[in-house]
Amino acid sequence: MIRIFPSLRFTSLLSAAKPLCSVACSSSPVREPPQRASFAEAKSAPASNSLSITPKSPLFLRTPSHATPLSEVWKWHDWAKDLASSVEVSSSNSEYSLDSAILLRELKWLIEDSIVDDQLVIHKREIANDSESVKLRASLEELYDLWRQRIEKRRPFQYVVGCEHWRDLVLCVEEGVLIPRPETELIVDMVEELVTRDDWFKNGVWADLGTGSGAIAIGVAKVLGGRGRVIATDLSPVAIAVAGNNVQRYSLQGMIEVREGSWFEPLKDVEGKLVGLVSNPPYIPSDDIPGLQAEVGRHEPKLALDGGIDGTDSLIQLCHGASRMLKRGGFFAFETNGEKQSKMIVDYMTSDHQNSFSDLKIVSDFAGIGRFVTGFRL
Amino acid sequence: MSSFIIKRSRSRSLLLWQTHGIRIRSILFSSYNSLSNPSDSTDSVSASGFSSFSTRSFKTTAFGFKFSHLNQKFGDLAYSGGSNLVSTTRSLSSEAVAVAATCDGLTVERIIANQWPILDENESDWKSHAAAISQSIQVIKRRLQWKKLLVRLKVLSAELNKPDLWNDPTHAGKISREHGSLAGKMKGVMTFERELLEHIDMLKLAKEENDSELESETLKALMEMRRVSKEKELEALLSAENDSCSCYIEVQAGAGGTESNDWASMVMEMYKTWAQRRKFSVTVVDEMPGEMAGIKRATIKVNGEYAYGYAKAEVGVHRLVRISPFDSGKRRHTSFAAVAVIPILGDGSTRVQINDSDLRIERFRSGGAGGQHANTTDSAVRIIHVPTGITATCQNERSQHMNKASAMAVLQSRLDQLEMARQTAMNAQHTQSLTEISWGNQIRTYVLHPYRMVKDLRTNYEVSDPDSVLEGDLDGFILSFLSSSLDKGDEER
Ligand SMILES: C[S@@+](CC[C@H](N)C(=O)[O-])C[C@H]1O[C@@H](n2cnc3c(N)ncnc32)[C@H](O)[C@@H]1O
Repeated sequence: MIRIFPSLRFTSLLSAAKPLCSVACSSSPVREPPQRASFAEAKSAPASNSLSITPKSPLFLRTPSHATPLSEVWKWHDWAKDLASSVEVSSSNSEYSLDSAILLRELKWLIEDSIVDDQLVIHKREIANDSESVKLRASLEELYDLWRQRIEKRRPFQYVVGCEHWRDLVLCVEEGVLIPRPETELIVDMVEELVTRDDWFKNGVWADLGTGSGAIAIGVAKVLGGRGRVIATDLSPVAIAVAGNNVQRYSLQGMIEVREGSWFEPLKDVEGKLVGLVSNPPYIPSDDIPGLQAEVGRHEPKLALDGGIDGTDSLIQLCHGASRMLKRGGFFAFETNGEKQSKMIVDYMTSDHQNSFSDLKIVSDFAGIGRFVTGFRL
Repeated sequence: MSSFIIKRSRSRSLLLWQTHGIRIRSILFSSYNSLSNPSDSTDSVSASGFSSFSTRSFKTTAFGFKFSHLNQKFGDLAYSGGSNLVSTTRSLSSEAVAVAATCDGLTVERIIANQWPILDENESDWKSHAAAISQSIQVIKRRLQWKKLLVRLKVLSAELNKPDLWNDPTHAGKISREHGSLAGKMKGVMTFERELLEHIDMLKLAKEENDSELESETLKALMEMRRVSKEKELEALLSAENDSCSCYIEVQAGAGGTESNDWASMVMEMYKTWAQRRKFSVTVVDEMPGEMAGIKRATIKVNGEYAYGYAKAEVGVHRLVRISPFDSGKRRHTSFAAVAVIPILGDGSTRVQINDSDLRIERFRSGGAGGQHANTTDSAVRIIHVPTGITATCQNERSQHMNKASAMAVLQSRLDQLEMARQTAMNAQHTQSLTEISWGNQIRTYVLHPYRMVKDLRTNYEVSDPDSVLEGDLDGFILSFLSSSLDKGDEER
């Protein structure tokens, strides 16, 4: 996937400050119609402290300025491999313990992201001359440190490299922002299916509430094919900064507007005007938070995870808002904690909001868990 | 009479040779006339087809191998366009009837029958060159399965001439594509054959006229043809329908736990390095590691021209005999690994239509609450094609979306292969999937102990250095298998 941004790799100094459009943007609307540009100008300036937050530069976008002898890199690689292979022995076999096979794959990706000629390190060891050197995007000391953090501190791999591959996107992520999950990709699939079936949805305004890294908003904007617009909101200033950065990297500023604030509060101007509303709100019951997998519980923001006593605090708010914000015929899709929550939401919407929604459905993720609730505004 | 024509045309065209190089064409034309019966009804068509041929054949000589290679590759383009199609067909079939010959009636077959001794390439003996080239032509025809091609071409031409052909554009497209590529392939060989005979004519003429410059030039041209003919022999090994495709290579460990899992991963490594040496690009699509070491099974994608053509020679069971490093008792073990190869059909070929509703997509290692609860970089999915039960998994990509796309591509190729196996009488062995390969179908044995040897059980090709083979030096095995499977039977099939 990284190959999508070949030129970005070499403009990382620039991109840290002001990530520019690269080759990758050819599919996105570089040539914006003027009215859309003004849409972006007028409202995209985030209201508060998020302005002062500068998103971190992920490894793969940094300048490969650290020339390092291959032999040193191999030494690091061997060390990292040994460390990865040793985990199975030491830790218990619980569902959430580290898995060597997965760590070894992560190591491969870490190399891919941090070494310009990664093939030379991984595959061509026999034929390469060990007096050669390679260009690293981080110093070797940093790479030692990063890998130790991954294994000893259980720092999520995506924070280690500063990015997450999600659908066909590479999104920058960092501490303070939830790492988008594979399940959530399906929300974009559903939207894609809907808009290919019915053009009406392509031209209107969509909202992604609690956008985090901007994943859903960017995915949706891309499947709208340059016609509609998306408003992405979040309460967290870090999320606002990171989402804004990701939107820029895909040059979707003209289509996506990032707004800071709680749920529908920043959306007053589009009440009753949305054709679509999507969200992956925090939905984990508060009691479950202490027992979470180390990568999640110790490193990801509580604000993104904690959904109150039964986990549905945010979801209930979203249900209320959905009837108010959506146009007639508008579509919504919410991610939930699973079967039980999905049923609760459907029940809630049918009893407390009867005559507001139609076609309420529970959609399963690829693990067969009833993960999403979808429906249409009557 | 004919010799008069030749002489006349020659003396005129000798001048042309220096600047335009059209002489061959005029000579050829006359030699052809001298051979064919004037009352033959196909004559005019053939003759016109022929003159265009000879121009082409001249180019072939001039640009050497490169051009003829291109010519063959783009045979499709060059020969199938529009109205040319029909005339190509006619001239081809009439060619096939009228055997190419020199003025004095020498043909490739007769040259072979003469059994002229084949000397070293550097010897300036035209007969030796001619004999070597003729033999190559015979080998090439056999490898292309010439007689089958002729029959197939007739069938296709008949199809093409049906007035309602284009009522079914997909079918029509397929037929005309196949016809184009067949015709191109055959023309390449016939052109080469004619070229040989032309040179012989020219040489005799030069001798007659004591034109030593022309003689040595022609001799040089023959030498060059001899070199090219060897390359063409190799090319002809990879002339089956999907040979030029990229492919997937799959390896599965046999029973026997860690020892055979280790063997399976050695086999996979062998293919990875082999592919890299051949400048193919390799990506791991799917890999199921063994508990202690090695792999239970794995799929790699090998991208590059002719990847499938070569790799298909590896289909079957590979057997290893060694002292197992996993056996503390240091006993000798025999392990097996099965190899399957799947072509990745190009956009031009008709591919199996997959209905979304026939698919079931599963998270590969599901379990746990998922969603916000879990953070894993493992996003592998398995796709099941419910009607056939065929599955595909990919776990190498960094997003679920990409894993799914990549697994879909594998599934598509598996279904395509299944369909091909059903539709055609293609050499059935290559189309076997891993599940169909019987463990009895051993193709090669690798012995590391008590002696060292790798032996192909199909060809008896043998190498005494297993390390080099395991490091990817497989071409000897592959080429010997390909030639033996195409060259058996002495008829031009
Ligand atoms: C589970 S995360 C989802 C992030 C992103 N949409 C994704 O799928 O990767 C939930 C997001 O909701 C945001 N959030 C939490 N409370 C919020 C609120 N009251 N208003 C708006 N956003 C909120 C969090 O900051 C977090 O980014």
